[in-house]
Amino acid sequence: MKQSTKWIIGVIVAVAVVAIGYFVLKDSSDISAKTIKIGVIAPMTGDLAFMGEGIRDAILIAKENMGNTKNRYEVIFEDDQLDAKMSASAANKLLSVDKVDAFVTFSSVTGNVVAPIAEQNKAVHFGIASDSNVAKGKYNFIHWTPPSEENKVLIAELQRRGIRKLGIFKGNAPGAIAVIDDLKEQLKDTNIEVVTEQVFNSGEKDFRTIIAKSKDSGSEIYLLLAFSPELEILVKQMRETGITTPITSIENFEMSEQLDLFEGEWYVNSADPTADFINKFNTKTDKSPTLGAANAYDIFNLIVAANEKVEGTSKPTSDQVVTELMKITNFSGALGNLSVNEDGIIVSKAAVRIIKDGKPVTVGN
Amino acid sequence: MGILPQLILNSIIAGAIYTLVALSFNLIYSTTKFFNLAHGVMAAIGGYAVFYFSKTLGLDIHIAIVLGVILTGFVGFGVDKFIYLQLRKRKASNMVLLVASLGVMTALQAIIAILFSSRFKTLSGNIDTQKIFTILGGVITQTQLVILLSAVLIMAGFVIFLYKTQFGKTVRAISDDEEVARIIGINTNKIIGYIFFIGSAVTGFTGILIGFDVGIEPTMGLSLLLKGVIASIVGGVGNIYGGVLGAFLLGFVENFGIWKISGEWKDAIAFALLIVFLIFRPRGIMNK
Repeated sequence: MKQSTKWIIGVIVAVAVVAIGYFVLKDSSDISAKTIKIGVIAPMTGDLAFMGEGIRDAILIAKENMGNTKNRYEVIFEDDQLDAKMSASAANKLLSVDKVDAFVTFSSVTGNVVAPIAEQNKAVHFGIASDSNVAKGKYNFIHWTPPSEENKVLIAELQRRGIRKLGIFKGNAPGAIAVIDDLKEQLKDTNIEVVTEQVFNSGEKDFRTIIAKSKDSGSEIYLLLAFSPELEILVKQMRETGITTPITSIENFEMSEQLDLFEGEWYVNSADPTADFINKFNTKTDKSPTLGAANAYDIFNLIVAANEKVEGTSKPTSDQVVTELMKITNFSGALGNLSVNEDGIIVSKAAVRIIKDGKPVTVGN
Repeated sequence: MGILPQLILNSIIAGAIYTLVALSFNLIYSTTKFFNLAHGVMAAIGGYAVFYFSKTLGLDIHIAIVLGVILTGFVGFGVDKFIYLQLRKRKASNMVLLVASLGVMTALQAIIAILFSSRFKTLSGNIDTQKIFTILGGVITQTQLVILLSAVLIMAGFVIFLYKTQFGKTVRAISDDEEVARIIGINTNKIIGYIFFIGSAVTGFTGILIGFDVGIEPTMGLSLLLKGVIASIVGGVGNIYGGVLGAFLLGFVENFGIWKISGEWKDAIAFALLIVFLIFRPRGIMNK
């Protein structure tokens, strides 16, 4: 090949690269100017992957059903395996690489990690979390049945069943601590007494000694607050140790895939999603909605609604979105009519459920 | 008697598990003189091998256990032959070997997670199939009894192997001074390879037992190794009896430690014991 031909080819390639680069960047900057990016941090692998998958499916259903909007919406999912270190790394990646405008997180552990990051970077953050600390700050919100609501229902059910002595096994996690702190406060006005409270760290597999410690406490029921697989191991070891006392929980039974372990046991959960949401979820996934899926669906719709309400043609700022979110009342969601309170918490109701034939069945509100 | 019999039984069971890890860790450490971080992951390999052979391939559980133990032994042997031996030949320092073992541990854990997912799995069937025995008011399951018997038998096996066989004498010679052992004609690399096989197989067997008792996950090895190392240091690194003593002491201190205080302190108690020994008796109970 002649030297001049090489030069011509070189110039053509260089021009092509510059031109493509220009149009791609121009195009992407146009898109990013109108696109609201939502980063979702949930366990997509590991023991709670089925819950992360439920959240992902619910958000995708919400996106498919959102109709015409003036803004474009893009969702980026990051797996954190419910590990705080991975949550922080996922949040930083979503901010620095994907430039997200909003976060959705699952669990109080992840919510507590992401909340300060969101606040510092002025990104809207919705936590599917029990711990009210997750909603601290201007940009942080919670959409989860608050512990106060769940405990109210739990106490009513305990009283209805004539239970006066309660034993507690709880993992050392922010969500469980928030639930128990509120429960103890509410129990002060009742005749129900906490006769034993055993705490263990995440990752613990040997519960035999704390089970032995609580065995003679006279508990009429044990409240178990633990994630999988600690929850299943704890129940297995309780049964092996000969404990036949009934067990109950707040939410955690539905965070397990081994529902048959809790057959016949009642527990408190967030209220049932609407039939419309259940139908949509069933149609897309062939499964029933997992715990938190309806919340994730609502959160996506709330973020969209708030962004769409912001007037003007430029991309809404987080401050404008927060202002619109705080105005929301009676929003028709998968968990009923939703309103955001002054603390940034969307209050939904709790219900009593029972595991029947390996499936959760709602028995009362 | 209250909960005392149960606490004693829980301590003995924990001690038996730590014994198995401490024995195999001690065996490898005393001959190679480096901290093999990948040793713990052999427990996961054993557990997952049995899971694969019994639940995926449908083999008889006893055959699956034997295959699992042998496979883990070969993985340990292979890691030594293809990684540690190559580094030793290049006169790599113990720090280099430690970092290499960290890499091996991470890689093996990742491979297990890719092959089997990082979800927790159990090797046992339903709770109802587990036989339960009551001893003086304390409860022990069939699997835990097997763990206890295995710890006793393996410890006895180690004593016979190291003190009553020619091979054991060779191993002890390498432990005393590898250079001298090589000068007198012992093929130290070959013996160390066998030691890796035996040590890894024992840890693999421990992982299988834990899989039946509690369950398995890819990262199960590190916490197990740490407890085994604490037991070794407390009892005296390189000393069989010391490892066993340290393991049971650790089991008792952990379980009795959380008798009156919250269970979340369990690990802190174990490491407090380690710190106390490192300060006041760094060579352990049995080593002078």
